[in-house]
Amino acid sequence: MKPSPSSSEDSGIKLRDHVYDGIQEYDQRLPNWWLNTLYGAIIFWVVYWFVYMIAGIMPTDGAQVDAEMARVAAVKMASSIDVTNDDTFWNMSNNGVFVDAGKQTFNSLCVACHLPSMRGKSENPTAVGPDLTDTAWIHGGTPKEVYHTASKGILDKGMPAWEPVLGQKKTAEVVAYILSHHKKGELITVQEANK
Amino acid sequence: MSFGKPSFDSRPKNENPKSKIAKARPAPVRDSVTTINADGSHHALFPADVHGRFTSWRRYSAYLLIGLYLLLPWIPINGYPAVFLDLAERRFHFFGFMLAAQDVWLLFFGVSGLGFALFFLTALFGRLWCGWACPQTVFLDHIYRRIERWIDGDAPERRALKAAPMTANKFTRRVAKHFLYIVASLIITHLFLAYFVSIPKLWLYLHEAPGEHWAAFLFVFIYAGLLYFNFAWFREQLCIVICPYGRLQSALTDDHTVVIGYDATRGEPRGRLGTPEAGACIDCNRCVQVCPTGIDIRHGLQLECIGCSACIDACDDVMTKVERPTGLIRYDSHQGLMGETTRWIRPRTILYGVLLLIGATVAAFAFSTVKPASFLVYRMSGAAYFVGANEVRDQFMVRLVNKRTVPATFTISTEGLPTGVRQSGFNSAVTLEALTESVSPLVLLIDRKDYTGPFKFTVKVSAAEPAFTLSREIEFMGPDARLLEEEDHEKGIKR
Repeated sequence: MKPSPSSSEDSGIKLRDHVYDGIQEYDQRLPNWWLNTLYGAIIFWVVYWFVYMIAGIMPTDGAQVDAEMARVAAVKMASSIDVTNDDTFWNMSNNGVFVDAGKQTFNSLCVACHLPSMRGKSENPTAVGPDLTDTAWIHGGTPKEVYHTASKGILDKGMPAWEPVLGQKKTAEVVAYILSHHKKGELITVQEANK
Repeated sequence: MSFGKPSFDSRPKNENPKSKIAKARPAPVRDSVTTINADGSHHALFPADVHGRFTSWRRYSAYLLIGLYLLLPWIPINGYPAVFLDLAERRFHFFGFMLAAQDVWLLFFGVSGLGFALFFLTALFGRLWCGWACPQTVFLDHIYRRIERWIDGDAPERRALKAAPMTANKFTRRVAKHFLYIVASLIITHLFLAYFVSIPKLWLYLHEAPGEHWAAFLFVFIYAGLLYFNFAWFREQLCIVICPYGRLQSALTDDHTVVIGYDATRGEPRGRLGTPEAGACIDCNRCVQVCPTGIDIRHGLQLECIGCSACIDACDDVMTKVERPTGLIRYDSHQGLMGETTRWIRPRTILYGVLLLIGATVAAFAFSTVKPASFLVYRMSGAAYFVGANEVRDQFMVRLVNKRTVPATFTISTEGLPTGVRQSGFNSAVTLEALTESVSPLVLLIDRKDYTGPFKFTVKVSAAEPAFTLSREIEFMGPDARLLEEEDHEKGIKR
């Protein structure tokens, strides 16, 4: 579009000297508010650089993440149970709240292989999972061993690791539900048989 | 866009009785923005009052839009506000229709549909959106400028007040005006927040210490501050310099697009009443005085024009007074203003119309297929498949999400399984509470003798009321059937 002839002479509109293919360029000032956003960004950068990188007044993003992760770990530790202590699980297995919660999880997930009765192959030879109610165990029968099996899984046999899915609390509840079918001090056997 | 208009000097001549105003306000030229001075400072405009049919209609539609904006979060539909973008729950309610986070891909149609609708509308009618429906114009013209008009008076009074030294009267008026600006900004901001958190929650936020909900508090503070700055000072700069849509205009319109234009054939040459040989334009400059972006519409279509139609009403008013036909400035295409016929159906409108139609059709289909649940089937962690003494086994997980706000029972079934495949301990019915999800295992076994290799099958989820079915295909994986047969043969297992 050609500049309207009414303007270029006396209305303060300036044109740059260069001409390319007959095209000229206006020489007008940017709005001051626009320039101020640029100057503001420069000032922000200097202040940011000084505060975070030089003076260390504010913690860097990395330090903030580390602090937050440490806080998360502390909360986790404070609310976690000692999974190496057999008595913890036996106590849980006598607590109706834990057992009921564990039963709910068991019935929505574990039943696919171990059946609702928890008796697995003992009840139905074509079931996938072994019997969890008898005293014969394949991968260890102490509470902490049962917890280990449930949380880490037996991957080559198809038992998934449940702790990453359920978390420690729910996994422990399931173990409590299983232990509620057992008695503390009962005789257990460990056999590498294909039950 | 052709700008082949006759060139003329529109600046008021010295003998023009309006020269006083001309001095206070530089005559608009087409090559620079009126509201940016030569030194880069902002030139504040004092648009004059205007009355007329378009002004009235624009006011009514603006009140309707403002009313809608303020009321939508208060109107409950199916237990949720009419429009509620629940960011905390990641659920989006539109007039009883609910979308979950899983449906966000539909946003594509919202954005592209808005784009195509704007393309189509602009090709036909220019910047109708800017003048009539854009929140910037609606809030500015019908809330903030009304406050300004009420406190500071009409355009000459406002200009005089600005030039006057600070007195107790001026100070009081300034405080009152800016106080009302801030109140309006706060109301708009709070309602905006209500779209995302709902009115009851907003009420709760308002009654607790700012520290309890510091993010919401900070948002209101910053957003209201931006609105205040925008509507008190920045105003037309947003439309002229920042808004990308104003810039798209020139690519979307052509000579047949209906815009606001000046009929130069009828108007030129300008001359005051009584001038012999003069055209219809009496060069009264009313159209310039009422313009909220400070342009002279007689220079033709310009990027600053937001299509507010103030100049149409101003000119019609003057033409009626001097007993000449109205419509010297009117909604018309460039062709129409040149005395030609406007072509409505042309390649551009056909193309934009077809794009809009395709988009609308696909969007209607996509929205109609949104189901009140979503589900996924995936392999359980661990090995892809397990080969036991008697069988081959695959383990899957079925993840179900009830996207509705009421409990629902879903039936999971499988289809296309070869004979001999059985499911282990599988719960086919799953009842889910409102807005919850579940994961259920799906374990499939097949006897070694029946196994003939990997196969694909379908998992289906269905529910009654509303009845719908979702299905996913997944593969049952396993070893090469021949290798399995050879192994059995070597071991002497009967098949």
